[in-house]
Amino acid sequence: MTTQRSHRLDSADWFGKTCAGLVLGFSLAVAVSGLCAWLTPGGIAGGNGKIQFVMWLIAPLWAGVLCFVFLFRDSRRAWLWLGGANLVACGLLAGVRGLLG
Amino acid sequence: MKIRNDVIKVYKDVHIWVGILSGLMLFIAFYAGAITMFEKPLERWATPPSSLAAPPPLARAEVLLQAVLAEHPQAAKNYLIVVEPTVDAPARVIWREPGKSRRQFTEFGASFADDGSLQVEKLRKAPVAQLVDTLHQLVGLPFPDALARPIMGAVALLYAVALVSGLIIFLPTLAKDLLAMRIGHNIKRLWMDVHNALGVVSLPFHVVMALTCVVFAFHDEFYDVQGAVVYEQGVPWQRETPPGPPTPDARPLPAVELLRLAHAQQPGFDVFNFSFKQAGGQLEASITGLDTRYGTRARTYASTHLNPYTGEIDPHDLPGQMDPWDTAVNTFFMLHFGSFGGNPVRWLYLLLGLAGALLFYTGNLLWIESRRRKQRADGVPEQTRSARVLGSLTVGVSLGCVVGISATLAATKWLPQRVDNLAAWHEGIYYALFVAAVAWAFVRGAPRAAVELLRLAALLTLLIPLSSLAGVWGIGGAWHHPGIGCVIDLTALAAVPVFLVIAGYTARRMRVGHADSVWAQPASSQPLPPSGRGPASALQE
Repeated sequence: MTTQRSHRLDSADWFGKTCAGLVLGFSLAVAVSGLCAWLTPGGIAGGNGKIQFVMWLIAPLWAGVLCFVFLFRDSRRAWLWLGGANLVACGLLAGVRGLLG
Repeated sequence: MKIRNDVIKVYKDVHIWVGILSGLMLFIAFYAGAITMFEKPLERWATPPSSLAAPPPLARAEVLLQAVLAEHPQAAKNYLIVVEPTVDAPARVIWREPGKSRRQFTEFGASFADDGSLQVEKLRKAPVAQLVDTLHQLVGLPFPDALARPIMGAVALLYAVALVSGLIIFLPTLAKDLLAMRIGHNIKRLWMDVHNALGVVSLPFHVVMALTCVVFAFHDEFYDVQGAVVYEQGVPWQRETPPGPPTPDARPLPAVELLRLAHAQQPGFDVFNFSFKQAGGQLEASITGLDTRYGTRARTYASTHLNPYTGEIDPHDLPGQMDPWDTAVNTFFMLHFGSFGGNPVRWLYLLLGLAGALLFYTGNLLWIESRRRKQRADGVPEQTRSARVLGSLTVGVSLGCVVGISATLAATKWLPQRVDNLAAWHEGIYYALFVAAVAWAFVRGAPRAAVELLRLAALLTLLIPLSSLAGVWGIGGAWHHPGIGCVIDLTALAAVPVFLVIAGYTARRMRVGHADSVWAQPASSQPLPPSGRGPASALQE
């Protein structure tokens, strides 16, 4: 999705990509952790253990996005794709909160 | 596995930069963390003998407690009854008075003197093990927690990126290069093989460390954000209300009875102590101990609520009896702390920690090797300034951490007789040595400083068992607790020849290794042209 056969990846845009990974990677991780909090067994009132587990989820999700953000062809694409993923995840979270909350 | 060249090139750049930014801080975190695997034995080894009389039997704990409360009523707020007193908890009854911050306490212990009068001592738990742990947690930074912790979190994120990028670079040649050790004239190839083997073999350990550290650094912030956007009204923590007394005039059970009931309910759970808190006119109790069949989220114990009036244990905080979510979280902690499987796993984690330190050290060496200006027909070129600076920094920071920790540990048995603020002295000694080592590495240049600092590390580490030996003979206020603590002295003793051997190799490389290297003897002090190296070996690179 991010690279075409003809295009060669380079490191020129590292700063923009890193920022996209840090900022949008974090918000995406929080949104996905929220979906897990609402949709996995026990739901939003799953107890103290689940609250902690859901918090822990942020670390692998955030770090995962940050690790692979450099595969985007440039920082504009990184911001757009991750921004889109954020919109979807946050929209789902808002919907789930509205339905189940 | 096939990965496109341009992807590899990008991740090589990423790997090099995150490595350079985080490598030295990670070295300190791993070296200090390896030692922290034995924080509790180290603390006991480092704690001076108590002046209290031998603890009365557990059956007399309540008598002692009443005597304490009569003279020190504030003790009722927060006290312990210790089942098995140890060097670091040397009294049957211990109470805690709040210190400056929420987590700081001053601990007092009590016993009966021979004439039956009450003895009270401010406990002198040694702070040096905590210093090593703090260096580990804050990646060696001398800043307040509020500043150092987010930096540690950033380092952990860089570390995660370094692991993934390193793996991506190595994947295409993994099958061919894994565990290959090409020992020869091509030093860069050799260090590369060492670096790759260490990284791949201990990758799961490193992934655990990187991700848990992100959480350890940022959990408060994560909860705050989730409280705002995930949950309806903040994080819905369930407060546990302790059961009150069954009847208004009920009295707490004596410790002997609590212990008997604990063993009946939780066979296999080795009880260390019962702790009590007075809150809202009601007594709350918890039980602390360890069932070695299970890993724990605290490093050396597990703790849960106990009804002091009935002796009933609430098992849902005990490993093996938690709900599945709690069990998963318990496992995350356990995998970071190596708090499962007892001492064999602790030793394994110690080795993995040292291997991790070596991974970051070799990473920096590779950076230097790949920027080496090669020897040409017209002579030995000057190495780049950046390579010399990174060489000095790598040697100064890594060995500065090593000599600093050895020095502050060696001082442990001499300080309590002489100074009051032990924690400040231990910190001062560590950072004085650390800063001096870094400065020395820049003044002397990496190769000479490496040899000298390694010899200093050997000397200072030798002083650790010598101090204990002085304690055996009762010299200068030093002490030695008989028993298992001697393993610490023996480990330090075993490290001495290791430092000397590495120093020997470094000195040899300085004399007879490649002249076109930051590790060669500086040109001004070279008496003879370097031997052991001809045009043939230059061609191999």
